Amino acid sequence: MPRIHFGDWIETAVDWLQSHLTWVFDIVKAVLGGMYDGVDAVLGGGEPLLMAGILAVIACWLRGLLPGTLAFVGLALIDSLGLWDDAMDTLSLVLVAAVITVVFAVPLGIWAARSNRVSAQLRPVLDVMQTMPAFIYLIPGVMFFGVGTTPGLLATIIFAMPPGVRMTELGIRQVDGELIEAAEAFGTSPRTTLARVQLPLALPTIMAGVNQVIMLALSMVVIGGMAGAGGLGEQVYSAITQLKVGLAAESGVAVVVLAMYLDRMTGALGQRVSPLGRRAAAKAAVAAAGRFRLAHYKPGGAVAVVGVVVLALVAGGMNQAGSGGGEQTAAGNSTNVGQGEKINLGYIPWDEGTATTYLWKELLEQRGYETDVKQLDPGPLYSGVARGDIDFQTDAWLPTTHKAYWDKYSSQLDDLGAWYGPTSLELTVPSYVKGIDSLADLKGQGKKFGGKIIGIEASAGMMGTLNKSVLKAYGLDGEYKVVSSSTSSMLAELDRSIKKREPVVVTLWSPHWAYGKYDLKKLKDPEGAWGKGEQIHTVAHKGFDKKNPTVAKWLKGFKLTETQLTSLENDIRAAGEGQEQDGVRTWLKKNPGLVDKLAPVAGGAKKQGRDAGRAVDIGYFPWDEAIAATYLWQNILEDRGYKPNVEQLDPGPLYTSLAQGQMDVQLDGWLPTTHKEYVDRFKGQLDDLGAWYGPTSLELTVPSYVKGVDSLADLKGRGEEFGGKIIGIEASAGMMGTLNKSVLKAYGLDGEYKVVSSSTSSMLAELDRSIKKREPVVVTLWSPHWAYGKYDLKKLKDPEGAWGQGEQIHTVAKKGFGREFPELNGWLKNFKLTEEQLASLEVEIQKGGAGNEKESARRWMDTRPGIEDKLAPVTG
Amino acid sequence: MSTRLEAEHLYKVFGRRPDEAVERLRHGADREELRADGTTAAVIDASFTVEPGQIFVVMGLSGSGKSTLLRMLNGLLEPTAGHVRFDGQDLTALGDRELREVRAQKISMVFQHFALFPHRSVLENAAYGLGVQGVPRAEREKRAAEALELCGLAGWEKSWPDELSGGMQQRVGLARALATDADLLLMDESFSALDPLIRRDMQDQLLQLQQTLKKTIVFITHDLNEAMRLGDRIAVMRDGRIVQTGSAEDILIRPANDYVASFIQDVDRSRVLTAAAVMDEDVRGDEAGCGCETATPDTPFTELCAISARLTHPVAVLDTKGKLVGRIPRQRLVGFLGDQQGEPEPCDNPRGTRDGMVIANA
Repeated sequence: MPRIHFGDWIETAVDWLQSHLTWVFDIVKAVLGGMYDGVDAVLGGGEPLLMAGILAVIACWLRGLLPGTLAFVGLALIDSLGLWDDAMDTLSLVLVAAVITVVFAVPLGIWAARSNRVSAQLRPVLDVMQTMPAFIYLIPGVMFFGVGTTPGLLATIIFAMPPGVRMTELGIRQVDGELIEAAEAFGTSPRTTLARVQLPLALPTIMAGVNQVIMLALSMVVIGGMAGAGGLGEQVYSAITQLKVGLAAESGVAVVVLAMYLDRMTGALGQRVSPLGRRAAAKAAVAAAGRFRLAHYKPGGAVAVVGVVVLALVAGGMNQAGSGGGEQTAAGNSTNVGQGEKINLGYIPWDEGTATTYLWKELLEQRGYETDVKQLDPGPLYSGVARGDIDFQTDAWLPTTHKAYWDKYSSQLDDLGAWYGPTSLELTVPSYVKGIDSLADLKGQGKKFGGKIIGIEASAGMMGTLNKSVLKAYGLDGEYKVVSSSTSSMLAELDRSIKKREPVVVTLWSPHWAYGKYDLKKLKDPEGAWGKGEQIHTVAHKGFDKKNPTVAKWLKGFKLTETQLTSLENDIRAAGEGQEQDGVRTWLKKNPGLVDKLAPVAGGAKKQGRDAGRAVDIGYFPWDEAIAATYLWQNILEDRGYKPNVEQLDPGPLYTSLAQGQMDVQLDGWLPTTHKEYVDRFKGQLDDLGAWYGPTSLELTVPSYVKGVDSLADLKGRGEEFGGKIIGIEASAGMMGTLNKSVLKAYGLDGEYKVVSSSTSSMLAELDRSIKKREPVVVTLWSPHWAYGKYDLKKLKDPEGAWGQGEQIHTVAKKGFGREFPELNGWLKNFKLTEEQLASLEVEIQKGGAGNEKESARRWMDTRPGIEDKLAPVTG
Repeated sequence: MSTRLEAEHLYKVFGRRPDEAVERLRHGADREELRADGTTAAVIDASFTVEPGQIFVVMGLSGSGKSTLLRMLNGLLEPTAGHVRFDGQDLTALGDRELREVRAQKISMVFQHFALFPHRSVLENAAYGLGVQGVPRAEREKRAAEALELCGLAGWEKSWPDELSGGMQQRVGLARALATDADLLLMDESFSALDPLIRRDMQDQLLQLQQTLKKTIVFITHDLNEAMRLGDRIAVMRDGRIVQTGSAEDILIRPANDYVASFIQDVDRSRVLTAAAVMDEDVRGDEAGCGCETATPDTPFTELCAISARLTHPVAVLDTKGKLVGRIPRQRLVGFLGDQQGEPEPCDNPRGTRDGMVIANA
């Protein structure tokens, strides 16, 4: 058989249409979009409960008091699920689609009823419309109309049209021929016959068709959601693709409530408008009279209209008031760079895509832009960006995964650079699958896995790599079959298998949250068959940097570390389903200054340093003053446009990396005693930028309820009381050496007391525990320390001066730091904190809790206006 | 009085190339030949005239083309060939719009299955034709109510068609047709769907209405008794052709062919025939000279028999002005009953005239 290149013809046709008939599509888009916006503005504009009231009054009018009440309850349920806006979007979509469908379907049906030829020609077309999988015209729809409501509407209209046409035709053809003849015999014109005889008699059937149209339209909203039609469909789609079963079910319930409402209402409306239905209803009402009279009470048309109008006026009034308030808050913001300009973002429901998209949504909104975020499949997303309906997307995996899309649209796209990388692709098994650690181990184990590798969407680039090179490289291609499904199905399968502890092998990639959720094992790829890791790029449509130079500049400078990305993803997941933006806000609060870093405002509140844009690596070990100073400087540097990377290390590794120049600076050099060892060892490889705090003191401390112990000398002979233990800190700390080597000896305590070395945090925990139980305890501590503020403690006096002189806290940098960062060098050299400043900063950080240090430091800075300019003065 | 309706060589052929088929029919081809070619000749060369105030009945079995013929009369079907003239106007020459105008104003129709609009009340149904004419609502309802009253449906105006019995529904159909004041009433098997008793009532009511309204009516039926009862003139159709046109008596007494003859076999002549049909018009002039009972031309056959039984001589028939128009000897009555209309043959036996039994035996 010769291969018929039907597909190629379609592609050519689509290309031609795209290049030649844009204006037609633009008109269609403008009309459909306009209708949708209009309806949506009305439905979604009001207070949810008032709108629910209006809809309930309509239900009351059409069906009676009980259905009206039920309608209100159902709609209130939607509101309480937090899906009201989405539900109204969907309702608007369905109504607009249904109206357009009916406007076309009824005349077509009439035409088909009057002409057998038309009917015969229409039938196959209707079959195609009804059975052709919606995706097939959804994607060209996106190509023609771009992402948004229009392709969704169009797909809905196409899908919902056939029953409308068929039922209209059927209804008209069912009208008794003798009646038509009678009308004709009395001289009625064909048009009048249609209007006075055929349509009224066909109306019950036509209304059944309209009902079907609406129900089918509703069933299409989920598919419409894939093209960015919004509403409940988008919720369902995004929930399902992210395995958020709960959210999907909630959205599903909302769809069902809408469906039942629309079904019952159109059914009742059908009865209302058709004379025959009115008579049947009147008869039924007479029959039912007496029982459930109240439940079946129907307000008259006038009463219903009054109800609707009153509620609508209230809703309108509140809306007016609400929008007035909104405008006031928006005014007068100096960071309002966007001035309400609209930026459209699209994302694939992959975690890093969701995370960064909502991050940018939040950033752009803070900068005064209006944003619209749509979840899409890669195909529609890329074509949406290429068309310019979507301004940019942040989740382009290049060069492999999205190669097909990139190749197709590269002429219409701008790559704004990678913000994360490298990623890796891999096959993964749960870690309980023993004996399989590398791809090579899979060979001969096909039976164990049912001969299947669970893949993702067939269109994903990694699927091609898997089939074309990975399987071959390890000789797996006969043994394993790659099952392509979807990411969500793959994850569902993984979840199912793990629950049953069955062996399974899936395609996965890093970063992915599944690695955090399950105990998984990435299979090693000694042959390198997966190729090099990819970069995640931000991709905008061609010319975006001219249209929106500011945003493009921000995006070009966009970078996230793995820590940032995972913490962002975690915060978003913690915020819960549908609350992505709240998660982003939480994360941004934890990372103060990041907003200004990611989206710097030229000439705004924050002054840039001369070396803005330079990355500074700051190391610290988890001592409180180190944490405090480090996060303080992180905030300051970010405000000044630097890119500080903060890393926690133990003192040994930290000094080593400073000496080797891998780390730029650290702020907690206790000299001359505590860090003497390190400084001596790396002499000549470090620069001392001077002390920013001092003198400090080291001491042994007891809670003040321990009576009779005021000096180190008093400890003697009381070892039993303290269990013979002095609670120390890290063994490596210089003060621990001093304690053991000189202090204990000076007071003759070395036989009686044993210094327990643990860690600062254990020491503090032990102190806390003991104080709560009012047990005697003696710990090593130093000043300044927040513990003195929190507990009632007594520093033991050191009459012998065994602890030596107080130390200074120095800033220690790598050699040549001053040449590399002259400006920062100057700032750090002048860095000074008073005891009060440091104590309050530490207390603030202590209050903020672990993980929120940066945010806490920012809060402290906010209480001290001008501190930033004092610590990091910028001239000009 | 001029002719109200005239059908002239009407043909109706369904199927491909109808004109060609008409040509072939004109040259003597018959229906079966055409059917073999896939064309159906429904009406072939039908011609008749209807005078004002007449009830013209078209009678035939189903498939004989009578309904097709009727629908050509008001233009619901366009004749393939031939002309329909209504009040001298050629309907076949009119455009759709004018044709509709004629139908709305002058021709109305009553249907076999009533064809009442189920979504309209009885009153609205009756007023339908007036609505098409553009009569204002108030007047329309007044006239429709009058028409309903005429048909014996006063008080049912607000009812719905499906609440009425079949007979009452057809009265609504009749009222709808009468309300438009159309001159010509086309009735398509209008009483066929009704029970026999009700059908009779309706026939009576139609005849009664006709006495006052004097409409011109074309009535289609497959029931010969109904045709005989109602029809001033009757056309008998068979296989698309009109095989005989004439009064009820004409058809009964002088069937044009065997088909008509076999058709009328089962008809109860005594209920159809009247004095006018059976009388001998060859009169001497003194038959009514005695004071005996006489008959009128309309006297039904059964009554004639009764009169004849009371007289010793033939019954004299006088018209409304008392003028002698015919005589009916007893033998003639018996002859009509037995479908034997010749003169009696003379008998050799002189007693034969007195004793039929003997003749029969001989």
